[in-house]
Amino acid sequence: MNLLRRKSITTGREMNPHTAVLTGEGAQQSIRQPQPDSGSKVELWRQVPSIPGKRQLDYYRLPLVKEPVWIWSVPLYFYVGGVAGGSALLAAAAHGRRSLRRIASWCRWFAFLGTTLGPALLTWDLGKMQRFFNMLRVLRPSSPMSIGSWSLAGTGMLATLTLVQGNSDNARPAALGAAAGGLMLSGYTGVLLGNTANPLWYGTRRTLPLLFTASAMASTAGLLEMLPLNGREEKVVKRFGMVGKIGEAACMVAMEREAAVNPQAAKALHEGKGGALWQGAKAMLAAGIVLSLIPVKSPWKRRVGGAVTTAGAICLRFALLEAGKEAAREPQATIEAQREIYDREGARRSSLG
Amino acid sequence: MTTTATGFFTDTSVCIGCKACEVACKQWNQLPADGDFFSGRSYDNTLHLEATTWRHVAFVERSQRLSGQSTVRPFSWLFLSDVCKHCRRAGCLEACPTGAIVRTEFESVYVQPDVCNGCGYCVVCCPFGVINRREDDGRAWKCTLCYDRQKAGMEPACAKACPTDSIRFGKLEELQQHARERLVELHRLGVKEAYLYGMTFEDQPGTEGLNAFFLLLDRPEAYNLPPRPAVPTKGAAGSWGIMTVAVAGMALAAVAAVGEGDKK
Repeated sequence: MNLLRRKSITTGREMNPHTAVLTGEGAQQSIRQPQPDSGSKVELWRQVPSIPGKRQLDYYRLPLVKEPVWIWSVPLYFYVGGVAGGSALLAAAAHGRRSLRRIASWCRWFAFLGTTLGPALLTWDLGKMQRFFNMLRVLRPSSPMSIGSWSLAGTGMLATLTLVQGNSDNARPAALGAAAGGLMLSGYTGVLLGNTANPLWYGTRRTLPLLFTASAMASTAGLLEMLPLNGREEKVVKRFGMVGKIGEAACMVAMEREAAVNPQAAKALHEGKGGALWQGAKAMLAAGIVLSLIPVKSPWKRRVGGAVTTAGAICLRFALLEAGKEAAREPQATIEAQREIYDREGARRSSLG
Repeated sequence: MTTTATGFFTDTSVCIGCKACEVACKQWNQLPADGDFFSGRSYDNTLHLEATTWRHVAFVERSQRLSGQSTVRPFSWLFLSDVCKHCRRAGCLEACPTGAIVRTEFESVYVQPDVCNGCGYCVVCCPFGVINRREDDGRAWKCTLCYDRQKAGMEPACAKACPTDSIRFGKLEELQQHARERLVELHRLGVKEAYLYGMTFEDQPGTEGLNAFFLLLDRPEAYNLPPRPAVPTKGAAGSWGIMTVAVAGMALAAVAAVGEGDKK
């Protein structure tokens, strides 16, 4: 019965279709059912809201900025894109070297699969999936997402070309092009998150590009470590992965320190879902580093290390999204970061009047 | 192409919290209803600007007097009709990868519903928390500054409906002139706490000024406005620089690792 009633509500506009016409600016906006509160999970207040004697520092603890609307496929893309970028780079570096033919081929495959799966994951998050091609409608240099979309499309094409051409000498330009695009894919997501109004991401905009780049290296190495490698290949993966893993660990520590400047935003890295994911990512990364430092030559140790590193890298992406949501819900995280500058400018402002 | 810039001047000192602007906006733009909802936060059951709510009246209850107020108990009630600010440098516009968000001939910021693919990047790039993506519609929506009405030479619905002229619509230069006069008048009457929020570049360098600006009687955060917002893409060059350094290191590491593995 309840279901039936719900179905009958289609537009949320109490209009008689015989007498009214939908032509307004918001008339195209369709909803399946009216939502009592669609923006954020605002908890109801059942008591008198005003607190006598207390200075109002925010607006009833309501969020000031909107939290990200992205779903699971976006952080997963961050991982897939990073792996594709790192693989394209390794494929180009190992290009034409006979002893590393096999690993170069795997990397070409990863770059191809990553740049194919990546756009699909991003499209899955779009509100209007059939309009995914609008991402290439314009090039807007001010938008990291626009630059990223073009990089992803370009890298995808070059990665496909490289895969088809294989290890031949003619393939070198395409491989180098894919590597350049891969470098963009590895780092641009950090720029994309850093240049938002989200208090946590904006507050850590200096370390985020470094973190994403380092983690792209660690992710690529983590995936390769899980494959059967010979001595030479293992050496390449270990060197490349070690730089990435140590770099990622250093960047996570640096990001925590950068975020600590704004304690209200930094809370999101220690509490709740985002905090748990962040701490989990840290623990798994540490385990990955320890495993690769143990001086025992064993393929299983390497595989477990690679798996742990991979899980940590995926966890890190989800932690960043969840912590960003958490920070956006806290109004003081946004206000605190701006208040100091605001007060400093106060003298000049009051003299304007 | 550009005609004259228009905007809103919202004078909170004369707002009576009647929500006529909210209703007029919903009705003119034929926006879907949000359902019955009691928030418990003063008389504010709208709570925030949303994809379906393009005007929102904030109710600020304070246990302190306004200057010149002579009630026995220290209490004052402030209202503010919040709206998209149509920033002169807009975070949403600069972030939009599809070009769906454009600046119109009236200098307002407009989302083209037939282009927007709902990527959600504008949602995190608005420093005021205005624009949002609807879960079931899939696109991002916000105030259009009544683009359709302006095209027909009419003022926006909210300004038309406002009974106290708290919402004023007009050419930007005239609005700014009026706002300055109003501020001087209020200060002369003893309302010393009055100030203008985001009117000029100097007031708010982060957004280079707002086309919909406000006269406020308390700190911005009391109304859920950011004290010193900045368009996030303003600092993008620095982030790209850091990324360039990082990926250069990554490329070096790859070349070194491959060189190491290849030699024997």
